[in-house]
Amino acid sequence: MSDLLSVEHLSKSFGGLKAVADVSLTVTSGEICSVIGPNGAGKTTLFNMISGVLRPTGGRILFDGTDLATVSPSRFAAIGIGRTFQNLALFKHGTVVENILTGRHTHLRSNVLDAVIFFGRTRREEIEARERVEHIVEFLEIEHIRDAVVGTLSYGQQKRVELARALACEPKLLLLDEMVSGMNQEETEDIARFVLDIRDQLSITVLMIEHEMRIVMDISDRVHVLNFGRKIAEGTPAEVRRDPAVTEAYLGGHRSEPLAKVGA
Amino acid sequence: MRTGDFKQTYGELVTLVDSPPVWLWSALLVAGLIVAPFVLNSYVLSFLIIILITVVGALGLNILTGYTGLISLGHVGFLVTGAYAYAILVSKYQMHPLVGFLGAGLVPALASLIVGAPSLRLKGLYLAITTLAFSFIINTVILEARWLTNGARGISVQRPEIFGISFDSDAAFTYLCLGFAVLTLFATLNIRRSRVGRAFVAIRDNDTAARVMGINLHAYKLFAFVTSAFITGLAGALYGIYLSFVSVEGFPFLLSIEALAILIVGGLGSALGAVLGTILIVLLPEATRLVFSLFSAQIDAVFTTGAQELKSMLYGLVIILFLRFQPRGLVGAWHDLRRMWVNWPLRY
Repeated sequence: MSDLLSVEHLSKSFGGLKAVADVSLTVTSGEICSVIGPNGAGKTTLFNMISGVLRPTGGRILFDGTDLATVSPSRFAAIGIGRTFQNLALFKHGTVVENILTGRHTHLRSNVLDAVIFFGRTRREEIEARERVEHIVEFLEIEHIRDAVVGTLSYGQQKRVELARALACEPKLLLLDEMVSGMNQEETEDIARFVLDIRDQLSITVLMIEHEMRIVMDISDRVHVLNFGRKIAEGTPAEVRRDPAVTEAYLGGHRSEPLAKVGA
Repeated sequence: MRTGDFKQTYGELVTLVDSPPVWLWSALLVAGLIVAPFVLNSYVLSFLIIILITVVGALGLNILTGYTGLISLGHVGFLVTGAYAYAILVSKYQMHPLVGFLGAGLVPALASLIVGAPSLRLKGLYLAITTLAFSFIINTVILEARWLTNGARGISVQRPEIFGISFDSDAAFTYLCLGFAVLTLFATLNIRRSRVGRAFVAIRDNDTAARVMGINLHAYKLFAFVTSAFITGLAGALYGIYLSFVSVEGFPFLLSIEALAILIVGGLGSALGAVLGTILIVLLPEATRLVFSLFSAQIDAVFTTGAQELKSMLYGLVIILFLRFQPRGLVGAWHDLRRMWVNWPLRY
């Protein structure tokens, strides 16, 4: 197994604030990796840099052997990086199907002139895209809402549509930013099952930010812990749970009690 | 009996209209418009022509403002560029009218690159002001470039003759405008259901997410500008031909406001809305005049002398009323009506 993503000494400063400082981590192909850390630890900033929303101020990101600094941000989706957002970032006036179709953008070729005529190749690729979307709809079990306008759906359903849209990009690496925040037990378990299926059936590597410790401990192969923009620990869920630095980050002070009792 | 909405192939999912009655009604409407010039008197026909030309322009602005969410106050700039491009090519250099129409699309499209490029980083009001400035710059350029545009004197334009068919009479010219309106409608509907249209709407609704989906924001904003300006330029050429005289005064700034009013009244981001909005806004001043003239001849006289001022007041009034009571516009009202019809006597 090779490293799909390798983040080397990555930093991002906003003025005097170092949101991410000298973070290095690797994600191996076929893994489910989690990034955890208290609020303001720089997790989302890290994701924003990996997905091209922000440019790093230091260090570099290698994706599949390519230095992402040499790639234009609008090409990130094309080379295989897909993501969801912490606070929903759907196209809320469109239907579920339209939203997912937008995720197919990089796989379609038609330009403005083709679109105006909408014949032959353009029509064929639209039909094919629509068929792909139907597979994703089926995979994530959102058939009953496929024609609903996204703005009218519940929070949990919208999160699932966002996941569908990210899958439509057919990424190699899927970044999930707090997928299950605000979800109930049942919805959380559904998402956990989907994440496992995404890895096992679609062979997509998953890197997720998560506050919900049950899902982190249950399904991740490896956990990276950030605090105040720095990486403080890395390892399997069990190792991280025992790490004193992690306990300190979450609970503060020097306590002998391991996180295990709190997190479990 | 059809009890649900069943599709058997994926092709059926990407069709423009999936219901035969809609095709039937549209065909009947077009048939009606084809018969119209024979039965309508020239006064009513002039409104039909204006509506058809305005539909083309409104659909053009709809691509930029409705789909892509970039507000333009300068679309009159593209109208006047299109009109002048046609007039210069056809009247001055005796080119074929089709070349004239092509130029009327391409010249504003090029101009839109100039205004679009600095606008890429601007949003909302700032973009609106930039486009506003553009339309005034265009006016100045046209007035100063006398060697090309005859300056303030303007250029007179003949009704075209294309492949032996003369569009000299009002009836024939109606057909020309109808052709442009129908083609533009199909073009914008096709854009909307394709990759490009989805990218436009994605930029409008959430540009960060759009970029993460792999949409090149700069390129697609420019595409929106260029497409919008091309279509608007064609409307400008048609309007210039209709006026039979192209001058800066023929394209007052009020037209930009009128176009925005059309989109707001019709419902932003909808081709049907642009059509419905056009009909309402074009007929509104005339309808108001008719209503008031029933009461007193004096008011009628005020309408004749202060037409422009009253128009701008009316546009302002309907924009405010629609934003307050029907923000989704006529097309929203139409959807509500349709849902009521289907669900009655239940509310939903």
